[in-house]
Amino acid sequence: MHILDTEGLTKRFPTVTALDGLTVTTGPGVTGLVGANGAGKSTLIKILLGLLPPTAGGARVLGLDVTTRGADIRRLVGYMPEHECLPPDVSATELVVHLARMSGLPRTAARERAADVLRHVGLAEERYRPIGGYSTGMKQRVKLAQALVHDPKLILLDEPTNGLDPRGRDEMLTLIRRIGAEFGISVLVTSHLLGELERVCDHVIVIDAGRLLRSSAIGEFTQATRSVTVEVDEGTQALADRLAELGHGVAPHGRMLLVEVTGPDTLDAIRDATADLGLCLIRLERGRQRIEDVFKETAGV
Amino acid sequence: MSEIYDIGYRHYDGPRLGRGHTTRALTVHSLRGVFGLGRPARSKLVPFSLAAIMVLPAIVSIAIMALMRREGMSYSGFAVIMQAVLAIFLASQAPTVVAPDLRFRVLPLYLSRPVTITEYVGAKVVAMTVALYALIAVPLTLMFAGELLVDLPGPPRTKEYLGAMLTGLLLAVLLAAFGLAIASLTPRRGLGVASVIALYLLASASVPIMYSTLLSAGDEDAARWAWLINPFWLVDAVQVWVFGTTPNSEGGYPDGPVSFVIVVLLIAAAVAALALRYRKAASR
Repeated sequence: MHILDTEGLTKRFPTVTALDGLTVTTGPGVTGLVGANGAGKSTLIKILLGLLPPTAGGARVLGLDVTTRGADIRRLVGYMPEHECLPPDVSATELVVHLARMSGLPRTAARERAADVLRHVGLAEERYRPIGGYSTGMKQRVKLAQALVHDPKLILLDEPTNGLDPRGRDEMLTLIRRIGAEFGISVLVTSHLLGELERVCDHVIVIDAGRLLRSSAIGEFTQATRSVTVEVDEGTQALADRLAELGHGVAPHGRMLLVEVTGPDTLDAIRDATADLGLCLIRLERGRQRIEDVFKETAGV
Repeated sequence: MSEIYDIGYRHYDGPRLGRGHTTRALTVHSLRGVFGLGRPARSKLVPFSLAAIMVLPAIVSIAIMALMRREGMSYSGFAVIMQAVLAIFLASQAPTVVAPDLRFRVLPLYLSRPVTITEYVGAKVVAMTVALYALIAVPLTLMFAGELLVDLPGPPRTKEYLGAMLTGLLLAVLLAAFGLAIASLTPRRGLGVASVIALYLLASASVPIMYSTLLSAGDEDAARWAWLINPFWLVDAVQVWVFGTTPNSEGGYPDGPVSFVIVVLLIAAAVAALALRYRKAASR
């Protein structure tokens, strides 16, 4: 069964068209929804929750039609909004228990589930303190916990890494991966950075101005633009020249080089070239594809 | 780490209850919020002090009945006499029911669950009504219990008590709907408190002025209408019309069901304002 599928989904507001004939399907697992700000990600999520009627086309979540079965969908789906949405004067435990009850869980079950879920997202003793004193990272965890507390089949995460520092971002992404892989809950996660979703998603959907740019398994994405970032202490130009001589695609990128990977021998060539030139290799990193690259690629086709 | 073992994620396969349950849970949650239960002691101070002040006249009244063997405070006049306390309670607590969810944008967390906006607003109005009604009904019932125990000569004032209890409910609905509608216009709690109290002061301060002005102009009929500007006297007018009690205003009220019609219209207007306000908030 499809976790969600849309067909010709269109949403027009008086001044803008947020979604324009979007047709896409996703299966179980973690799906990334990538697009620049204003690409229609949040609008899509609101439609999927049955909170916003589509102008044309249709969508189904877990096989339920969004226009007629909204309440049933909201029973089975968890939602983590992008914006701040936590009252500061209650504790995380209190809030999550209350929201569990709002999802229909009986009192004792709500308490147990809230404790479980807060532990899973990594909130320990601080969960009894008022949320007002939490760091951004902790607040994001509370937001995630309330989306999970009623054990949904699918969770919709709107920009969960927004405002987090690199470490918080990593932890959040690891958590999302765990939810998809270990908890067995399907995830739709939005971001404006394709790079960070690469690590956790099974499938990526890229939208721009409400239109589908691309929808494919993550493997196809990384294959399509495989490149590595190479950083050496000195002699960047010498290395670039050497690699170009050997017939590799090299492009300077600030103080670093972007080298196109055609196969395992490219990496060998980089290693050998640095060794031959006696350079100090600082970084050899698989290139993170950014949303702009997909746009460029699509524009080129 | 405090974690000793990780037993992994457990799925929930217990019952998922329906709308009745969620709406009731939200009502109880909001009601607890009105009285600051489950909140720091600071949040309990105002509501419980005001509730205590409401009970004081009941105790004094019982003492009068027991020691001086005569009728205590009238049931029908209780709400009108205590109106300032009720108004302060409404002004200080109505914003705590609606403002935080608007200000901190908690609403989407409700609406992404099987809670509809109507159920949400309904639960808030019911919670505030119950809180206000408790402030009116508890002292009235205390007084009535006292009257029965003291066993004054003559029959107990059962009809007046029941009439006051019913009108009290009408008053609670009117105040709750109106107070919440005003408080929901601003996400700032302080502003909400100020607007409700300002409106009440305006409504109560203007009444005697208008009444005496119209009276001195010799227009006694028009002067009676002035009382209906204030919600407490307005509901008292309903009580006079339905239960035939003594008016708690100088010169009485306009005759007939007009006061009741006004109350119903005001409640409808307040509920409509709330619905509009929340439809807008939900679409954000």
